[in-house]
Amino acid sequence: MGLLDDVVSVPRRTMTLFFVIDTSGSMIGNKIGAVNDAVENVLPMLDEISASNPDAEIKVAALEFSNGCNWLYDEPKLASEFVWQDVTASGLTSLGAACLELNSKLSRSGFMQTPSGSFAPAIILLSDGGPTDDFYGGLSKLKANNWFKNAIKIAIAIGDDADKDVLTQFTGTNEAVFTVHNIEALKQIIRVVAVTSSQIGSKSSTAGDITKQEQVIKDVTEAAKDINGAQSEAAPAPANPSDNYDDWD
Amino acid sequence: MADLAKGTRISLTDGGCVTIVKELGRGGQGIVYLVDLNGEQKALKWYLTAPDEKFYRNLEKNIMNGAPSDAFLWPEHLTNRQLGSFGYVMQLRPKNYYEFGNYLLAKVSFKSFTAMLAAAMKICNGFMMLHRCGYSYQDLNDGNFFIDPNNGDVLICDNDNVMPQGEKSGIMGKARYMAPEIVAGGIPDKRSDRFSLSVILFMLFYANHPFEGARVVACPCMTESFERKFYGSEAIFVYDPTNNTNRPVRGIHQNVIRRWPVFPSILRETFEREFSQEYLQNPEKRMIEQNWEKIISQVRDQLVICPTCQEETFVETNGSRGKCINRGCTIDISKRLLINNRSLPLTDKTEIFIDNDNTPDAVVSKDANGVLLIKNISSDKWMVETPSGKIKTVESQDIMPVKEGLKITFKIREIPYRGEITII
Repeated sequence: MGLLDDVVSVPRRTMTLFFVIDTSGSMIGNKIGAVNDAVENVLPMLDEISASNPDAEIKVAALEFSNGCNWLYDEPKLASEFVWQDVTASGLTSLGAACLELNSKLSRSGFMQTPSGSFAPAIILLSDGGPTDDFYGGLSKLKANNWFKNAIKIAIAIGDDADKDVLTQFTGTNEAVFTVHNIEALKQIIRVVAVTSSQIGSKSSTAGDITKQEQVIKDVTEAAKDINGAQSEAAPAPANPSDNYDDWD
Repeated sequence: MADLAKGTRISLTDGGCVTIVKELGRGGQGIVYLVDLNGEQKALKWYLTAPDEKFYRNLEKNIMNGAPSDAFLWPEHLTNRQLGSFGYVMQLRPKNYYEFGNYLLAKVSFKSFTAMLAAAMKICNGFMMLHRCGYSYQDLNDGNFFIDPNNGDVLICDNDNVMPQGEKSGIMGKARYMAPEIVAGGIPDKRSDRFSLSVILFMLFYANHPFEGARVVACPCMTESFERKFYGSEAIFVYDPTNNTNRPVRGIHQNVIRRWPVFPSILRETFEREFSQEYLQNPEKRMIEQNWEKIISQVRDQLVICPTCQEETFVETNGSRGKCINRGCTIDISKRLLINNRSLPLTDKTEIFIDNDNTPDAVVSKDANGVLLIKNISSDKWMVETPSGKIKTVESQDIMPVKEGLKITFKIREIPYRGEITII
C-alpha cells in the first residue's frame, strides 16, 4: 500500500523534564546514592510514556549544583538516550547560580528549541539544605522567565534540614513541596513526580481552569499519602521520630 | 491505594469473584489487571482513588443496561467496595487490536483504505448507538479506541464516564479533543461528543490534528492559556476556506498535506463545514452520527481497485473517467450501480457495500471475455428485473452481468435496497 504506508508520526510537542539536583556536601552518602538510583530507574518509565504518547515527546535535562552548577548533558535528551552518570556530592549549595543557569537555558536559543514547539517544562528541584549563595537574586531573574512561570514546578525536600521556605519560593506554593524522611520515600517520590509530570499533558482533566501544576500537585499529594515517610508541606504528617538521617553518617 | 497483588480475590456485586493474575497497564485513573473469572480471562479496571458514590451507582446502572453495541468494551461486572477502592470487570482486548495512538505515531498503519473506512464507520455507529441509548460519552479522545489494522474493527474502551445525556460526570475531557464550548467551561454532552468525533475521524483519515497548522506551530510554548485559545475560543481549521492563517506546514504536517487532496471531495467539504467557525460556535449544527455514516458510505462508494496498478484508489464520480491516486492511471468508471442518491462505479475487483455493516455484499469481477460481472457475496438472494421485464434471481455466491438497465433488489437483513445499473 503506497499512500497508507507513507505516513509519518504526528508532530509532537516536546515536554522537557528538568531535574535540578543538590549535590552539595551534605548530600554525601545514601542521599545522593538514592537520587542516582531513583533517576536511573525512572528513565525507562519516562521512555515508555514518551514512546506511546501521541501528544508529547518527553525529554530529560539534569542540572546539578554544589560549588557551581553543571548540566549532565548540554541539551535535553530523550529518556532512552539519557545515560545517567552518577552525580557525586561535595561543596556548597549554589542554588542561586542554578537559578541563573536554568534561566539562561529556558529560552528558544537555549534548551527550548524544537521544530514543532514545546509544552511548558516540568522542573523538579531536589535539595537537603539551604542555599549558600545569592538565591533570591537568581530566583528573581528566573521568576521573570515565561517558561519558568508556566512550568510545572515541584520541589522535594530531603529531610528536615532542607530550607522549605526556599523551596516554596522556588515552586511558588508550599503545596508543591514534598518532604521525604527516608531513602525509600525519596526514591518513590522522585518516581511519582517524574511520571505524573510526564503524563499530565495526555490526561483528561476533571475541571476547566485547574493548571497542570495544580493537577500534578493533586496527584502527587494523593500518592504521597501511601508513601511512608513522605508528606506534602501543605499538610504535614506528624513527625515520626524513627525517620531521620542521623544514623546515615 | 496500593496495587493489587497476584492471587488477590476481589468480590463482585453479583456474588462472583475474580482473582488477580497480573497487571496489564496503568493510566491516570487506575490500573488494569488480567483476572480470572470462573476460569475465563477478563480485565479488571481498578481505581487508584475510588470515585464517589454517584459514579459507582452510574457504573452499576450502565452494567445493568448493557452495551449499546458490540463496538464497546463495556463494563460487565461491578466489584464490591473493598481495599479502599473498587473497579469493574470487562472483556479482555484481543491481541490484534492496537491503540489509536499507535496509528498516530505511525507505529501501526491500516492495511487498506477499506479497513480505514470500516474503522470510521464502526466508530460512528458506536456513538450513534450510544447516543440513541440516551448516553453521552463525555471524554472522547485518541486514547479510547483499539483498532484492528487488517479489517478496521474497533473496540471503544474507557466507558466508565458514560453518563445519561445532560448529566455531569465531572470529567471535562482531554485538551485538543474537547469542544470549544467545553474548553470554555461548559458541560460535556452528545453535541460535544460530536465535535470530538469529528476530530477523531479527521485524525483517522489524515493523521494530523485539524487545528494544528502554521499558527499553532509558531507558538513556542503551549501553555494552558494558549491551549484554550488554539483549541477553543480561537480554533481555526487548517483548511478553513475563508482563513488561511493556520495551513499545515510542510515537513511537519506531512500526512494531511499528502492526503487532503487524495480523499474524495465530499470528505473535504464535510470537514470544512464541520470545522467552520459557524459550526464550531453552534454545537446544535454539528452533524449527527447517522449523517456521518452516510458520508463515510459515499466515500467508500468512491473507493475502487485501479485496473492498471491494482491498488485501491478513490475516484471522483462526476465523470465517466477517474484518475488513480497512486500513479495517475485513467480508470473507466462509466458503469455505475445507482442506489438512491449513491452512484457506485463498477470496476473489476471492487467490493460493494450496500449497507453500513462493514461486510461487503457484492464484488465486481471480469470473465474471460472481459465482461464485468457482479457476484453476490451476501447471504441473501437478489431479485433482478431486466429491461424487457423478466425477473431473475441471483442466489448467494451467484453472478450477474453488469448490463445497463438491470434493476436489482438487494435484501440486507430483511431490508430491501433498490439499485439500477446504468452507464454514464
